[in-house]
Amino acid sequence: MFVFRLDANSGVPPYLQLVQQVRQAVLLGFLQPDDRLPLIREVVESLAINPNTVAKAYRQLEQEALVTGRPGQGTFVTHTPSAIVSPGTYTSLRRGLESWLHRAYAAGLDEHAVNALFSTVHHDAKVEGVA
Amino acid sequence: MSTEHALRTQGLSKLYRRTWALRDCTLALPTRRVVALVGPNGAGKTTLLRLIVGLIAPTDGTVQVFGQSPTTNTPQALSRIGFLAQDHPIYPRFTVADLLHFGRSCNLRFDQDLAERRLSHLDIPLHRKAGTLSGGQRAQVALALALAKRPDLLILDEPLSSLDPVARREFLQTLMVAVADDGITVLLSSHIVTELERVCDHLVVLNHGRVTLSGDIDMLLATHRLLVGPRATANLDHTPSVIEATHADRHTTLLVRDEGAPAAPGWQPHPVSLEDLVLAYLRRPDHRITAPARDVSEAPR
Amino acid sequence: MTWLTWRQHRAEALAAGLFVAALGAILLTLGLPMHSSYHDGIAVCFNGAFIDPAMCSTNMARFQQDFGYTTAVLTMLNVVPFAIGAFLGAPLLARELETGTWQLAWTQAVPRMRWLAVKLTALATLTVALTAAAAALTTWYRQPLDVLNSRFAPAGFDVEGLAPPAYALFAFALATAAGTLMRRSLPALAAALAAFVVVRVTVETALRPRFQPPVTLTRNRFEVTNDWVLDSGFADPNGHHLSRAEFEAVSDAADAANTNLTTYLHDHGVQGWISYQPAERFWAFQRIEAGIFLALAAILLAMVVWRVKRRAL
Repeated sequence: MFVFRLDANSGVPPYLQLVQQVRQAVLLGFLQPDDRLPLIREVVESLAINPNTVAKAYRQLEQEALVTGRPGQGTFVTHTPSAIVSPGTYTSLRRGLESWLHRAYAAGLDEHAVNALFSTVHHDAKVEGVA
Repeated sequence: MSTEHALRTQGLSKLYRRTWALRDCTLALPTRRVVALVGPNGAGKTTLLRLIVGLIAPTDGTVQVFGQSPTTNTPQALSRIGFLAQDHPIYPRFTVADLLHFGRSCNLRFDQDLAERRLSHLDIPLHRKAGTLSGGQRAQVALALALAKRPDLLILDEPLSSLDPVARREFLQTLMVAVADDGITVLLSSHIVTELERVCDHLVVLNHGRVTLSGDIDMLLATHRLLVGPRATANLDHTPSVIEATHADRHTTLLVRDEGAPAAPGWQPHPVSLEDLVLAYLRRPDHRITAPARDVSEAPR
Repeated sequence: MTWLTWRQHRAEALAAGLFVAALGAILLTLGLPMHSSYHDGIAVCFNGAFIDPAMCSTNMARFQQDFGYTTAVLTMLNVVPFAIGAFLGAPLLARELETGTWQLAWTQAVPRMRWLAVKLTALATLTVALTAAAAALTTWYRQPLDVLNSRFAPAGFDVEGLAPPAYALFAFALATAAGTLMRRSLPALAAALAAFVVVRVTVETALRPRFQPPVTLTRNRFEVTNDWVLDSGFADPNGHHLSRAEFEAVSDAADAANTNLTTYLHDHGVQGWISYQPAERFWAFQRIEAGIFLALAAILLAMVVWRVKRRAL
């Protein structure tokens, strides 16, 4: 069973945290097609979270076609291989980022500078329509 | 029409001696929401909540819970409202079983099975004297009592302030499960914002006895944002859409309510967190509170 | 509601009940020998059948000697109405306000006016019932003394008949009202005690002697045992009551004339006078006294009701 977590101090709205966790888990293969997401009540009980928030997150995931609700059974991960990268691609991307990080730290950047640099580049790339 | 709303107040005011504890409060809370009532100490939160449950009568204005006035104090009106006062008062010399007996004998409907199930789930023995329970257990017993009434509207006055972090989490778990199971509308007051975001979906900010902000949290976060840009020279205090302006040496940060209109060149928009939004409204000086920011036409662009 | 009232106040109710039961046991233990001693030795002196003055005065003296403490016992019984009434009244609202549970009690489906009505009725009834029982016991205990001294004495009037239940109801209302205002049981009890003593003493000393106009008699000899003598002195032939100075002058004149004072007074037509309330007015006075305290209690309880209804504290 998939387990959600919630970071109250992240500044990210709770429903978005749930959405991101499912996206990430699907991407990393922690959630496979036909896996059942926890029932709303189960998420509510484990996280002490507003049921409307969970419902909203599940609605958004359905809209993104990552999951689908089956009446009376629950919410299941959809078969969406296009969104999933192969383990090989994932590993190679990760290695690339690791070596970039080594270079950045070797150049004297600290954690904050690395984060700021990544955010800026990511932001600019989004603006230019790359991401 | 009033049935669409769990709660409606119109010009609600309460005068204590010569101080207005609540001034001209007009609110409409939709059903099936978990509403956070936020404000500093002394803002009038307790007064508003006591008016809603009929413990006090308004000096002026009206209050309606599902179309009924709680001020009339009829059994029917009282039945629809559950109330948990600050510090969760229960009779210290009663056993937990006595408290359930009390609830049964003083209510038109009382779901004793439900209350017993909830308490046994929490390992709170029925034969214990309430006075010997821990603070968290007392809060749970008081909550179980209020929920066993099967109220349509549950009012909680600072339910978390006297609880330790573990008890807080357990209390919110019970509350949220009740919301999921029974679909009740909850109105809870607090002066701590951080823990509200996960449980509340509607926000009411009360300051100096007046409502300064009210709405669904998603909507409020979507219509407000931070604009960061060059240091503004104009006095923005009277621009209605600017909630708060913070000036640094070379740049200015504005919290604006501009419904997401395109920002002026040179101004970079950022989303605002719920906590910053609440704090900005709480920091507004008294004289600006009378004119709630609605006008978007004068946003800096 | 009935269950709640019982559950919340059973400790006080049982304690007050035990208190009255213990009081009854003590009065019975002390009273039985006194009653038999009275019936065996003194009763005969008052029924007129056969009187042996020597035997009567011997028995009376012995009775006085054996049971002289009775007045002290009866005086102590003065605390009973306050103890019961205030003990039941003080926590009624004060404890709810102290612990914040008023917010719990008044947000169930029982309207708070009904909550208050049930509680006030139950506890006031208990107060009256317990003090009436105590007063009835006291009336029985005191019986032998009724023929020996006046029932109007504080050791009689204040502890028997209608007055004690009325005092108790007043104390109950006072303590309830004080609890409503002060929000704490113990300070409320203290304040109620102070107010209770002030009102009781004021009524007893300033009002009770004037409930009805006293009877004034001017005679040479008086036979008053059971009446309530308010004042006495000497009066000249015109009926003018002599002041202390005037009587001194008469006394000096008797000395100057070298005459026995009694003879002098008789010769000059100076007679004694007394002002008193006759013994048969006892129940009329009891009714008036009880009426005053019941009215005060009603005013205080109305205040409590108004406060709970209007601004809910």
